[in-house]
Amino acid sequence: MITIPYLTAVSTYFSYGLLFAFGQLRDFFRRFIDWWLTTNLHGYAPICLGHEDFYIRRLYHRIQDCFERPISSAPDAWFDVVERYSNDNNKTFKRTTKTSRCLNLGSYNYLGFGSFDEYCTPRVIESLKKFSASTCSSRVDAGTTFVHAELEECVTRFVGKPAAVVFGMGYATNSAIIPVLIGKGGLIISDSLNHSSIVNGARGSGATIRVFQHNTPSHLERVLREQIADGQPRTHRPWKKIIVVVEGIYSMEGEICHLPEVVAICKKYKAYVYLDEAHSIGAIGKTGKGICELLGVDTADVDVMMGTFTKSFGSCGGYIAGSKELVQYLKHQCPAHLYATSIPTPSAQQIISAIKVILGEDGSNRGAQKLARIRENSNFFRAELQKMGFEVLGDNDSPVMPIMLYNPAKIPAFSRECLRQKVAVVVVGFPATPLLLARARICISASHSREDLIRALKVISKVGDLSGIKYFPAEPKKIEQTKNDIKLD
Amino acid sequence: MYVRALPTTDVNRNTEWFTYPGVWTTYILILFFSWLLVLSVFHCSPGIAWTIVHLAHFTVTYHSFHWKKGTPFGDDQGIYNRLTWWEQIDNGKQLTRNRKFLTVVPVVLYLIASHTTDYQHPMLFLNTLAVFVMVVAKFPHMHKVRIFGINGDQ
Repeated sequence: MITIPYLTAVSTYFSYGLLFAFGQLRDFFRRFIDWWLTTNLHGYAPICLGHEDFYIRRLYHRIQDCFERPISSAPDAWFDVVERYSNDNNKTFKRTTKTSRCLNLGSYNYLGFGSFDEYCTPRVIESLKKFSASTCSSRVDAGTTFVHAELEECVTRFVGKPAAVVFGMGYATNSAIIPVLIGKGGLIISDSLNHSSIVNGARGSGATIRVFQHNTPSHLERVLREQIADGQPRTHRPWKKIIVVVEGIYSMEGEICHLPEVVAICKKYKAYVYLDEAHSIGAIGKTGKGICELLGVDTADVDVMMGTFTKSFGSCGGYIAGSKELVQYLKHQCPAHLYATSIPTPSAQQIISAIKVILGEDGSNRGAQKLARIRENSNFFRAELQKMGFEVLGDNDSPVMPIMLYNPAKIPAFSRECLRQKVAVVVVGFPATPLLLARARICISASHSREDLIRALKVISKVGDLSGIKYFPAEPKKIEQTKNDIKLD
Repeated sequence: MYVRALPTTDVNRNTEWFTYPGVWTTYILILFFSWLLVLSVFHCSPGIAWTIVHLAHFTVTYHSFHWKKGTPFGDDQGIYNRLTWWEQIDNGKQLTRNRKFLTVVPVVLYLIASHTTDYQHPMLFLNTLAVFVMVVAKFPHMHKVRIFGINGDQ
């Protein structure tokens, strides 16, 4: 639930109206000027239909320097951001050779596997020397090595399901699997804030799509009852299959899904549950096994568990875990398995080593330390930000914390000023988030030390004062006497 | 004072912003401040200023609600390319609160404009024409209707 000051909402609408009006004015004059200049492409259809590139040209390009900044080191807690400059008002950029060392608050480096790791990296280099960088083939042709088989077995052990299949790309996992699982005559009920990979997969499947209010199990039940009673769109026959798609942690809100209620409702109405654990696997739960462990849901109740290796394991790719029959069916039908290149062997080795570290099978307790550290870091950071008066979304224990900005002018202000102070944050606006609710999203990592977090808090507090985003009254500062907290000045 | 922003179920990012709190107030405030602006720039009588605001409002809203089709970004792969903004709002459901509000605003503006100009010609004629076109365009029966193929698809 997001609480906005009323004046901020009104001024945000007004700002967007003004930006839109200026964009239209410039487009109007641009049409005149382009009419004079001749082009030699007569008879060709335009590349963009209508005004579908209006937002990109007139709003996004103005603040393009806040996005897609190139980095030149591994995404550790501190990394090098390449400095760029633009000669034509942010339309194109030129890179310089200078870099600035910034604190990394944007990478999904939840457990710190994003850079050199003493257990994982030597094994990955060995695997690179033995197997080379790519398998150059799909899984069914010549792309399955024993590392791939070991990886799938590791994933089943970690996630707690009978079988798993691994793909080379996390986005492709969702968009290639959902069309295989359900087709025309089926119903997909997805959370309103699901990731675009799920939306694309659902649209590509041909099934009917209905949306329920974000993280509201009561609305899910209402939609289910209405749809089951109604049946298929024109014929009103019963649905062939109903799949409810939810995510473990929603990447733009940092909220944790109400999984027990969703699973109970789906059991009652005999719908399948598809859980996308992209951000939650490896980051939450006592031993890092994700949202099922955190909320005490039996993994046998969730029919399809999907996840990606990009966030907590420092690699690439995605997996689907389910029953043996499901995985065997997917291996025979899914185009991402039959035709797409398999996951590179060194990346697979990185995932295996990361899972071994998390489970403690490498002989040390570094995994447990990392998990405890990310939990402590997230809770500390979130509590301190809320004390300063920022509006921070997300539940406790979630390593993703968006700070609400709202006003479109504060998006570049926050981003650029933080970069000047050597803190790199990611800001998100329309259309990835709703128009009114632009935010700066902070991802905490286990490799952030307490000093890093305190430094980040100081910078964010100063920049927050400058841009006026402390929408809630700050709590009066007290001197903490407990041994866990450090006095902030 | 704070308001709660409930998450909506509208997946169309082009129209979803209209369901959040504060839109109606912003709309009315923009109209009021543009009247003040016209008064201060043109040094005319209040009635002429309201007429100018009404006609400018007609031009802008007709163009953006009932003429321009599609969405200003490409993420939705063009599924709304045949629908104007008015037809996209509220997922195409007719007679919702938002639609009723948007129909009432031009009528109220018309009443204010004609009252403050004392129903004289030629302002009355222009105002009446504008409000007639606006209100007819918003009828539920006009959903996806293209008269004489104007603004139809190629």
